Amino acid sequence: MTAADDHNDDIALAGEYALHLTDAASRRAFEQRLQAEPVLRALVRDWDEQLAPLAEGFKPATPPKAVKARIEARLFPASAKPRWSPWRMLAGSGLAAVLAVAVLVMLPQDPGPAPFTPSLSAQIAAEDQSLIVLASYSPDTGTLRIDRQAGAAAEGRVLELWLIAEGAEAPVSLGVLPDDTQTDITLPETLAASIAGGTLAISDEPPGGSPIGVPTGDVLAVGAVVSL
Amino acid sequence: MTTRDDVEQMILRVGLGDRAAFSALYDATSEKLFGVCLRILNDRAEAEDALQDAFVRIWQKANSYAVNGYSPMTWLITLTRNLAIDRLRARKGGSVDIDEVHDLQDTGPTPEAAAVAASERSRLDGCLNELDADRAEAVRGAYLEGYSYDELAARFAVPLNTMRTWLRRSLIKLKDCLS
Repeated sequence: MTAADDHNDDIALAGEYALHLTDAASRRAFEQRLQAEPVLRALVRDWDEQLAPLAEGFKPATPPKAVKARIEARLFPASAKPRWSPWRMLAGSGLAAVLAVAVLVMLPQDPGPAPFTPSLSAQIAAEDQSLIVLASYSPDTGTLRIDRQAGAAAEGRVLELWLIAEGAEAPVSLGVLPDDTQTDITLPETLAASIAGGTLAISDEPPGGSPIGVPTGDVLAVGAVVSL
Repeated sequence: MTTRDDVEQMILRVGLGDRAAFSALYDATSEKLFGVCLRILNDRAEAEDALQDAFVRIWQKANSYAVNGYSPMTWLITLTRNLAIDRLRARKGGSVDIDEVHDLQDTGPTPEAAAVAASERSRLDGCLNELDADRAEAVRGAYLEGYSYDELAARFAVPLNTMRTWLRRSLIKLKDCLS
């Protein structure tokens, strides 16, 4: 079998996946391959796009009003806590200040590092809260402090942090997160200027990070940068 | 009039957890997506459930939209259509209801299939027309009705393997024409 035959096979397999012709077990097997093969993912996407004109055959119909209410009730139950609370953030930084004072009191001889006084922050969280990373940025020192509060990279994978500046088309990599739950990243001045109003995101990537400078794996978590 | 860019912006904002954008996206696209669910499932109550599932999934997945390279409506329709077909297959339990298949055969080509062919002299239509008529009809049936290989084989009264070989060859030919 030649490489061209294999490629034709993949075109046909991607097409039958896009059309949804096979049973659930075959689809799951193909999805395993999709996870690992970006070229195959692109083939499926191309089919989805090329077949899309057929969707003209789906005649629009107005759903009952209650459906929207049911969806919102499912996604945003009234009892749910807000995903991000400024009060909790204030409480957190207040505690940090107390700890900083305690360190200074205990070690009067050592001036220690300059205090970390963030003015911007983002909670980068997965929809299901399986990954939560708190990022805080201090413009005085150009330091972005990363605190991974929940979740970790998948086995054999890494987490890569991205900045999507306000109005920017493409994300910029801020680097692969280390295994440590806490780390400080010093941002270059050019990026420091664009963090306010931006969005931070974390993607699942192969070891060493995305080889092509844009996210290649799933975007696992996102968070808007807000002023403290 | 909601443009392609409007829908794209809404999806990106939904990806950042913006509930107002989610509400606007629902208002702009739910009629089309409900049409997808109704056509595939042919049952109002089930189509309503499928539409709910679709918008829950859209809320959960919108943060991956920016990197997946889809155009906005294709992404929404593909996601919705796949969920509706999953629901259809779960209902049928993988078996083929022969009576239903005969009914469908008796009705001949659906008005929608005819409308699609007439409405747009798209490249896709041109390429589908280069296939044998019954194979093009099988591709359209799979897309619009969610027919599986099993159902298509029963509908066209050919063995399953024959249908699979037919369609795989047709897909390669179609791709040649489209590329």
